[in-house]
Amino acid sequence: MNEFWADLVNFINSEQAWNITRAVILIAIGFVAAKLISSALLKTVGDKMDNHRAMLLKRGSYYLILILFLVSALHQLGFNLSVLLGAAGVFTVAVGFASQTSASNLISGLFLMAERSFSIGDVIRIGTTTGEVLGIDLLSVKLRTFDNLFVRIPNETLIKSEVTTLTRFPIRRLDILLGVAYKEDLKKVRAVLGEVANKNPLCLEEPKPLYIFQAFGESSLDIQYSVWAKREKFLELKNSIHEEIKNAFDEQDIEIPFPHRTIYTGSATAPFPIQSVSHTQPD
Amino acid sequence: MTADVQAMTSWWGGFDFQGEQSKEWNIGPLKFIVQRLKNEWQIAHEYKDNFDANNITWSVKDTDQPSASLSDNSRFIFQDASGELSITPKLADRPIISRPLTPFNLTAGEEVTLYVSSSIWIELAINSAAKTVLKEIAIQRLSDTWFGPSTLEGELCYASTTHCRLSLDELPHFTHRAITPVLICNKADTTLSLERLNLPAPLLSLYAASNGQLWTPQITLIRQKDGDMAELKIENTLPDDVQPVIQLSEPRNRVDSSVLFRAFNTVFS
Repeated sequence: MNEFWADLVNFINSEQAWNITRAVILIAIGFVAAKLISSALLKTVGDKMDNHRAMLLKRGSYYLILILFLVSALHQLGFNLSVLLGAAGVFTVAVGFASQTSASNLISGLFLMAERSFSIGDVIRIGTTTGEVLGIDLLSVKLRTFDNLFVRIPNETLIKSEVTTLTRFPIRRLDILLGVAYKEDLKKVRAVLGEVANKNPLCLEEPKPLYIFQAFGESSLDIQYSVWAKREKFLELKNSIHEEIKNAFDEQDIEIPFPHRTIYTGSATAPFPIQSVSHTQPD
Repeated sequence: MTADVQAMTSWWGGFDFQGEQSKEWNIGPLKFIVQRLKNEWQIAHEYKDNFDANNITWSVKDTDQPSASLSDNSRFIFQDASGELSITPKLADRPIISRPLTPFNLTAGEEVTLYVSSSIWIELAINSAAKTVLKEIAIQRLSDTWFGPSTLEGELCYASTTHCRLSLDELPHFTHRAITPVLICNKADTTLSLERLNLPAPLLSLYAASNGQLWTPQITLIRQKDGDMAELKIENTLPDDVQPVIQLSEPRNRVDSSVLFRAFNTVFS
């Protein structure tokens, strides 16, 4: 027991213990300094930047300062940095093979941040997921969907797939697909649609609404009517204009037909037998 | 505000409420009710559906109709709901794109003064120890529009149509619209075809003439010789015939210079 205490006292008095203490203190200072300096930097110049850049600045400065302190701490422990960097190269290859997915996500994350196709606060759509971007991290992008679910999408997926940013431009186009009966006068239909768009204050006057005759459909004349709206009012316009078109068509007796099926027996067959049913009530 | 202007134009200005009183305003298409209760002010408004644009009448009266009966009702809670209600006309918070009912052409070297009217907003505030703004309401719901060379570049504005009258005598007396004299000079060698005009409402202040008509200072739009640039100048003057005037509101956005150079297609279209 006495021997243990003697060894401990010797160790504490040795230079190595002093180096370890200094390294630990350096790392601790590094953590605090990185946090303080990155926060201070954000407060000083962060106001002039958008969320995305501010986040990049904060994380970049944090990790840079931390790495500097870590390197000093290693130096303090007597590591030869050139040897260490060489070993790090070999180590990186080994880790790279072992963690291909993570590395791929990491690199994709760097590209995503540089490309800036969306930033924090934007609403994006990837496949069937639509949501607001909460964070763009090194490995993944975090989304909040409109039904309030937290979705984590790996950066690799984002780089490989089609991403739609819904909040990039201030105005959006709403495409209304509708069908009218074959008997209707298309000029009248067009005029009624124009009047509805004109009366709706959310529908932009310019760019002008677009009327496209799509096809002679199976049961209807298929029309696309596209109107523009301010991005924030898109949903409001979508709800109001469909209702207004329906009301205007009802007022003007324009029919939106249900699918029709005409049953034809062919020229060689006899006509369908028809049975007349009397509606008179029995006595 | 001078007494004669106040008497002529009593839909704006200061209004005293006695006890739990309600007042109703009808200005053009807008109807709004302001009700004072013990600890709150209630403001409700709605727009008339079938409004005749030529109907330029207004009225202010006491009412028993509860403000909650209108579609858009807001409550503002105060510890002490005393004080005077102040109603101030203001210009739009976005530029207004005026489309002449009939597009017209201005040949090379010509200049013309048009009188363009635009719908206004009202600011409802309580004047007690300090002024507290409660709400802003548009007198007419204007349609949104986009003004710019493409759907990527441009700005959101309000859309309006105008007669672009050339003479002051032809102008009807609108109490709920502000008139802006617009001097257009075409210094380019080609004819200027005017289909839409960008009226920079947030940069203009609002004045009232003694007959109650609202005015903004004159703006001058000069199409430069090369045809690609336009000079927009905001004058400090009103037409000589509309004196005396009082200033009702300051511009919403201040610009350092009264002369602005803009791309031609951001002013005319």
